[in-house]
Amino acid sequence: MKKQSRFMAGALVLVGVVGYLAVTGMKDSMMYYYTPDELATKVAADPSVRDLGAKMGGRVVPGSVQYDARTLDLRFTIVDIASGRTTFPVAHNGPLPDTFEEGRDVVVEGRLAADGTFQATTVLTKCGSRYEAVEEDFRA
Amino acid sequence: MTQIGEVALWVAFILALWGGVLAFAGGRRGRGTWVLSAERSVYAVFGLLIVSSGAIIAAFVRNEYGYKYVAGYSNRELSLFYKITGLWAGQTGSLVFWALLLALFSSIVVWQNRRKNREFMPYVSGTLLVVLAFFMGVVLFASNPFQLMDFTPADGRGLNPQLQNYWMTIHPPTLYLGFTAFTVPFAFAVAALISGRLDTRWITTTRRWTLLAWFFLTNGIIFGMMWAYVELGWGGYWFWDPVENASLLPWLTGTAFLHSVMIQEKRGMLKMWNVLLILGTFLLSIFATFLTRSGLIESVHSFAQNLTISWIFLGFLSFLVIVSAALVWWRRDAFEPENRLESAVSREGAFLLNNLVFIAAMLTVLWGTMFPLISEGITGTKITVGPPFFNRVNIPLGLLLLGLLGIGPVIAWRKATGRNLVRNFTTPVGVALAVGAVLWLSGVRHTYALLTFVLGAFTMTTIVVEFWKGTRSRARIEGEGLPVAFVHLMQRNRRRHGGYVVHAGFVVMFMGFAGAAYDTEEQMSLRPGEQMKIASPFGHTYTLTYQAMSAYPATNMTKVIASVNVAKDGRPAGVLTAEKRSYRQREEVASEVGIRRAWNEDLYLILAGIDDINGVVQGTNPRPIVTFKVLVQPLVPWIWVGGLIMAIGTLVALWPGAEPARPAAVKPKLRVEKMVDADAELVEA
Repeated sequence: MKKQSRFMAGALVLVGVVGYLAVTGMKDSMMYYYTPDELATKVAADPSVRDLGAKMGGRVVPGSVQYDARTLDLRFTIVDIASGRTTFPVAHNGPLPDTFEEGRDVVVEGRLAADGTFQATTVLTKCGSRYEAVEEDFRA
Repeated sequence: MTQIGEVALWVAFILALWGGVLAFAGGRRGRGTWVLSAERSVYAVFGLLIVSSGAIIAAFVRNEYGYKYVAGYSNRELSLFYKITGLWAGQTGSLVFWALLLALFSSIVVWQNRRKNREFMPYVSGTLLVVLAFFMGVVLFASNPFQLMDFTPADGRGLNPQLQNYWMTIHPPTLYLGFTAFTVPFAFAVAALISGRLDTRWITTTRRWTLLAWFFLTNGIIFGMMWAYVELGWGGYWFWDPVENASLLPWLTGTAFLHSVMIQEKRGMLKMWNVLLILGTFLLSIFATFLTRSGLIESVHSFAQNLTISWIFLGFLSFLVIVSAALVWWRRDAFEPENRLESAVSREGAFLLNNLVFIAAMLTVLWGTMFPLISEGITGTKITVGPPFFNRVNIPLGLLLLGLLGIGPVIAWRKATGRNLVRNFTTPVGVALAVGAVLWLSGVRHTYALLTFVLGAFTMTTIVVEFWKGTRSRARIEGEGLPVAFVHLMQRNRRRHGGYVVHAGFVVMFMGFAGAAYDTEEQMSLRPGEQMKIASPFGHTYTLTYQAMSAYPATNMTKVIASVNVAKDGRPAGVLTAEKRSYRQREEVASEVGIRRAWNEDLYLILAGIDDINGVVQGTNPRPIVTFKVLVQPLVPWIWVGGLIMAIGTLVALWPGAEPARPAAVKPKLRVEKMVDADAELVEA
């Protein structure tokens, strides 16, 4: 019985360490996920929200995309998918994702700069192509 | 013609439901004929699902674009290979495919057990039929591949370019094979619970199925990593994406199960724990499918948000959880262990710690993956956690596991003595410290990388020493040459020796992961003829010279190819090409990276941007400015080599005839085996 309780003590230490790592890991990598509407509301209420960094899911506004293939500077405007009202200019540097195009739903990760531009460290496109309603596609 | 497939699916669904009821009822009331009838319906369901899947493939091959599913995942230009694999290219087809695989496994199980395990079989075939009925029900009621549109387009939309890749065609089926094969030990566990026979029988009889499931699941995950590495185009192979995590969850509990059953077999402990682990593994594989299909969590490769499917899956999952929990509760008194833990410093102790590590990893991955949903449910705002969270927890856990891997297999059962520890671990510890010292002196300072190599060296040495001791004693006793003795050693007790090989592969793979600490990256815009340089952490420098850009049409796309001459420390080292493929049918671009693979590192070339790509395609601008991103990825090849070693090890353990079950016909040989056994005992003692 004593042996088992010694083992249990060891197990508790392990669980404690894992718990500690998990909590600190959470603090470091937690990120709010907003829509453009939500981000605008939050920042209006409390400007310090800018500094936290966030993910934002929205749609690429057609006609807004500028990409410099030499410097890999990407600029486009993102719009709220549901309301279609709030927009933010987005800036990003890096290879253009293959599936990135106008009208596509994207998730950008980064922070809102003081000039109102969302400085994105990553731009993820959702692989909508695979899953869109086929019929709509054919009718269009 | 194709509608035959839908009819077959309906008949199979009804048969599975009916057979499931019949099996359970027959088992409880002792009606042999009912059970037999249920078992026959398993075969029938398999036959009908072949017809149904065949009909889907035929529709793809015959270009029947009136079917929404075919139109969505194929077009006339698509090669025959990708048309056939269209069966699992999309949601609806892949569910039929899933049912087909499960029906295949179920039929094999029923055939294998036609004369044995008869007290289990009613509940085994019943469970398998219920799961089969569920998947077919989802297809028929929520996601039907036989759905016709009210018009027939002239051509389909074609297959997503990112899926037109070899690894992507074999990654999903391999993963499905793993998930479905875990249904078999699950079904036997349910049967053991219902029949009340909770000794080791259900475990030993499904031992090979568990290994098979693990084999497929492991390879399925590795194939997915390979796909991500070549296709997603930024040099990574694991992103802690929800869909990846989903496949890792059952792998973690399944691996824990694979180890903890050995304690039950040898020492009669952990009976309830093993049942819970296999129930959990199966539930998590259903959960993984649910997570992937429901689109509930933001993911790079989520399927469409399909609410009907989400609810059906959630319903089935709740049903399984409640039934499993109720069965375990009902039999709670039947799990009495035959032995108790005698010492924490023992093989049991090491295995328990191993299980604890796997479960801790599973819970943290599950927590991080579900956190967006949890936080939205509680606070109303979605909060995501990124790779730093997963890495912070799982890298230390992985390192702990790496060390345990060296300790577990050689430490004595019950209670390790000081002598046992000294004898087994002096050499490995010495080698590990030497490796650490050499690496430190050659400038490796990254803590985790250093730890990986030190622990890896420790574990690798224990494995090598084990093989060496076994081979040597066998050679001495049998008078065989060392190579022959080694082969014979492997043939005897294959599960154990195959397991060692898997461990060795795992060590190699982890060293490959550690290479990521030394990734280097350069980005530059070049005109034809210009150069860029990138340094490898191994000390040499690559010079890349952008030669030319060419465009040419292929079957269903136009390829734009940049060719780059590579020199390593000034000596020519081949040509690398990186492409952009422009697909005619879908107005999409797909990048193809160029990878120069060496034994110790990959040189990874990304065509990040082309100034005036239209000019290149039209042939008016043959000398565009191009932006390249180049990565040196040390030790990445070791990940795949490690995976291959793991696969070989699993096959060694799986190969038929692994159990020395033959009666004592040849006496002298038996004597030798006994002596080798005695030697093994000596090592363990």
